[in-house]
Amino acid sequence: MTASALLVGLIIVPLAGAVLTPVVGGRDGARACGWATLVMVVTSGIAAALVVHVAQVGPFSAYLGGWEPPYGIELRFDEFSASVAIICLLGLLAVVFSLRYAAHELPPVRIGTYYTLLLLNLTGMLGFVVTGDVFNLFVFMEILSLSGYALVAISGERTAEMAAFKYLVMGAVSSLLVLFAIGLLYALTGSLNMADISARLSGAAEAPAMLALALLTTGLMVKAALFPLHVWLPDAHAIAPSPVSALLSGLVVKTGLLGLIRVYQIYYGAKVLDLSALNTVLVWLGAISIVMGAFFAIFQEDIKMMLAYSTISNIGYIVMGLGLASQYGMIGATVHIFNHALIKATLFLGAGAIIYRTGYRNLTDLRGVGRSMPFTTAAISVGAISIVGMPPTAGFLCKWYIALGAVQAGHPVFGVALVFGALFIFVYYIRMVNSFYFQQPVHPEILEVKEAPLSMLVPILILAALCLVMGLLGRIPLSFIEPAVTRLLGTVGG
Amino acid sequence: MEVTDIRPILAPAISFACTGLVFLMGRNTFWRRFWSLGAATAKLVVVMSMLPGTLRGTVYVFKLLDFTPGIGLGFRADALGMFFAIVSSTLWLITTVYAIGYMEPEHAKVRFFGFFALCVSTTIGIAFAENLLTLFLFYETLTICTYPLVIHEETPEAMKAGRKYLAYTLIGGAFVLLGSIITFQLAGTLTLSRPGILSMSAGGTTLTWLFVALIAGFGVKAAIMPLHGWLPSAMVAPTPVSALLHAVAVVKAGAFGILRIIYNVYGVELLKQLQVISWLAYLAAFTILAGSFIAIYQDNFKRRLAYSTVSQLSYIILGAALLTPYGATAAIAHIANQAFAKITMFFVAGSIQRTTGKTQIHELAGIGYRMPFTMAAYTVAALSFIGVPLTAGFVSKWYLSLGALQSGQWWFVIVMIASSLLNAAYWLPVIYLAYFKAPVGATLDIHEAKPTLLWPTLLCALYVILLGVTTQVPGLPFSLAQAAVRFVFGM
Repeated sequence: MTASALLVGLIIVPLAGAVLTPVVGGRDGARACGWATLVMVVTSGIAAALVVHVAQVGPFSAYLGGWEPPYGIELRFDEFSASVAIICLLGLLAVVFSLRYAAHELPPVRIGTYYTLLLLNLTGMLGFVVTGDVFNLFVFMEILSLSGYALVAISGERTAEMAAFKYLVMGAVSSLLVLFAIGLLYALTGSLNMADISARLSGAAEAPAMLALALLTTGLMVKAALFPLHVWLPDAHAIAPSPVSALLSGLVVKTGLLGLIRVYQIYYGAKVLDLSALNTVLVWLGAISIVMGAFFAIFQEDIKMMLAYSTISNIGYIVMGLGLASQYGMIGATVHIFNHALIKATLFLGAGAIIYRTGYRNLTDLRGVGRSMPFTTAAISVGAISIVGMPPTAGFLCKWYIALGAVQAGHPVFGVALVFGALFIFVYYIRMVNSFYFQQPVHPEILEVKEAPLSMLVPILILAALCLVMGLLGRIPLSFIEPAVTRLLGTVGG
Repeated sequence: MEVTDIRPILAPAISFACTGLVFLMGRNTFWRRFWSLGAATAKLVVVMSMLPGTLRGTVYVFKLLDFTPGIGLGFRADALGMFFAIVSSTLWLITTVYAIGYMEPEHAKVRFFGFFALCVSTTIGIAFAENLLTLFLFYETLTICTYPLVIHEETPEAMKAGRKYLAYTLIGGAFVLLGSIITFQLAGTLTLSRPGILSMSAGGTTLTWLFVALIAGFGVKAAIMPLHGWLPSAMVAPTPVSALLHAVAVVKAGAFGILRIIYNVYGVELLKQLQVISWLAYLAAFTILAGSFIAIYQDNFKRRLAYSTVSQLSYIILGAALLTPYGATAAIAHIANQAFAKITMFFVAGSIQRTTGKTQIHELAGIGYRMPFTMAAYTVAALSFIGVPLTAGFVSKWYLSLGALQSGQWWFVIVMIASSLLNAAYWLPVIYLAYFKAPVGATLDIHEAKPTLLWPTLLCALYVILLGVTTQVPGLPFSLAQAAVRFVFGM
């Protein structure tokens, strides 16, 4: 099969899988889970082939129906699109994890719907990162957002509905902003294809181009939950079912950031505006996000709430790295999109397994759980060490690169903010580890619970192992993404 | 001459494997002891097998993988690293024996011995780190791995000490990370294989602040005042932990890091042009005296030891900051001299606590009659701290004073003399108390500590004497320190 057929398949397979889930699964949750797993295995295979291909030959495109842009629809696969690998991996593991979790947590009638929505959400993300035109960017963003709202609310509990509603309101406004910006770009350039817009924008008027940029950035940063646009995130991520939390926190917020990279590609290439003002704002907001996310997290008792706030900190890292616009900073930020997804999924799935077994979610109630669930808590500890950025875990290299990028860009003060912000994060993770291992249980029966079932434990352990491996083999993603960043930044100066 | 060899990574890997095996099979007492002792022995053998080569001038290197493009996770056994590694692995074996005896009535032994091995693994990693990033990696891992040992008792007091420990050391680690980042930006490399990678072209102000950041980072673990606050609190840990971690691994990791910064990152020539190095020497001199002053007023045996450690560690810093060959010799040799004397002291404190339940100094009246061998070991260590000839401490003081004169800063010799007097002021009264005072409400029968506690104590005391009378101590040749000095000063 050719690469372009595979690229189309990457979207068609999970989309068709989602549509067929109710047909295949019926009312049987286990069968629906099996089907979704099969779909994700096939999709993951396609994603792996595509990543290998892009590593060998560089970016490539597929034209739907053979119509070349600007008339037809283009799917574009570059190094940044390689994030499909992590989307598929997490999607697959979350589906497997859901087998026992969904059966336990959700009303039986909704289990089929749950897998359909999960696959739709993944389809949306996959489409979002490979699409070559801004309109389809919007369409895929809506697919993943709408399925996200529904997934948050799926348990049917009152708090879940409230959280989903909050998420929906913020999400809808941000979608409108993006849509309006796309309209502006179309009016300015007469095209929807990204490369084409970038080429034609150079002659365009400055003011509308700037307005479009501002709207796009704001809209995408709501999706990414950058401080102060983060208010929807903690509730939604903490209340959703744990596998969904893993996807939302690990991946869905990242689409906002990948979208920002696409915006950069358009505007850096066009050279119509000087982006340094925008970058300054982003770097500052990133730094504030790091500190504020950590600050809020310290006061949380609920384990998932804590994890949700830590996502805000990590989004801060990435936005700071992107805004620094230096080689090291951008490489670090891009790789952290990938690594943070791994780490946060480890933590959320681990927390999910603990909640599944014990029924508790407050740190005080969970004291002593390390003795009865040694593997799950060990995995969470690895994730905690990793997210704080202790070497030799995945989190460390990104921190190292982004801080190096700050020094390289001539703003060492942001490197200082980053390094000390990470210490702040450590404060609440050490509370978690303490309560798992070193404190006397409040509920004696917690020592009697069993280790998580295999369908949960295996995904968690795979992810925890990857947190370590990606730290030791960090050079692979770093050198993989380097040419793309060089290309992107090369267009700045020249 | 550099030779690629697997042994520099094998040494930390052995302890790492030991950790895994202890966690897997450690519920069984036999296997827990078997793996702990076996790994300690195996590692000592591996490290020792490199000694003849190192003395001939061979440097064993092993590059594991590229951590990031350009910076490898590399291991390199040069003379300075070998010296530290030999001290750590010799003491690990002795301390393991002691810990097996000491920890018998304790809880959570699997966790204890697992993390114990992990700490030593990372210490050897620090000793053999080829570049600053690898060093930082193990330095931070050491912080994490010691945490479960510090809070072993799980009492509120222990948890508080643990929090304090983490707060101090992690902030220190953040400074080291920042310093490494800036060093990489300035020098384009982080290797520790050369006598200095930075140059004056970076600008004096930048270099000064970078030096302050790096020294502050490592200085937390080296307990330079005012960064020493965690060390006395951390004495709440079980005694073998205090002994190994607070006399050897953790504090020496900080001191070793400072030696690497001074000798391999900045280099002697560059530092001579910077004013900041003399401030480090003044700070070290202040710490030497102030630590001893505070120690005088401590009645708790282990707290007195803690402040003595604060004071003694700054000998190393002072020796290095003098930037003279004799000073460097003293700094490196004192890594071993202080370690053996201090660990003897800790073993004595632990043996007394386990055998008689006494933890305060004033309770020790007449203890010399009940535990003659233990107190004999104490006397040897005390004389070493005072710096009496024929003990290890004398060698350090002698070279340190020579180094001070060599650099023309004679007033540091007065600091040395004052420090000797202060050490006498807080170690000798205990000897008086132990031998010349009648015990309160106890018989004079000999009631020694059990063999697993006693023999390690005596062995360490023997080392203190050997280090003082001969340069050919089994497995710890003085010439190793001299080889390191020759490399640093390009002689």
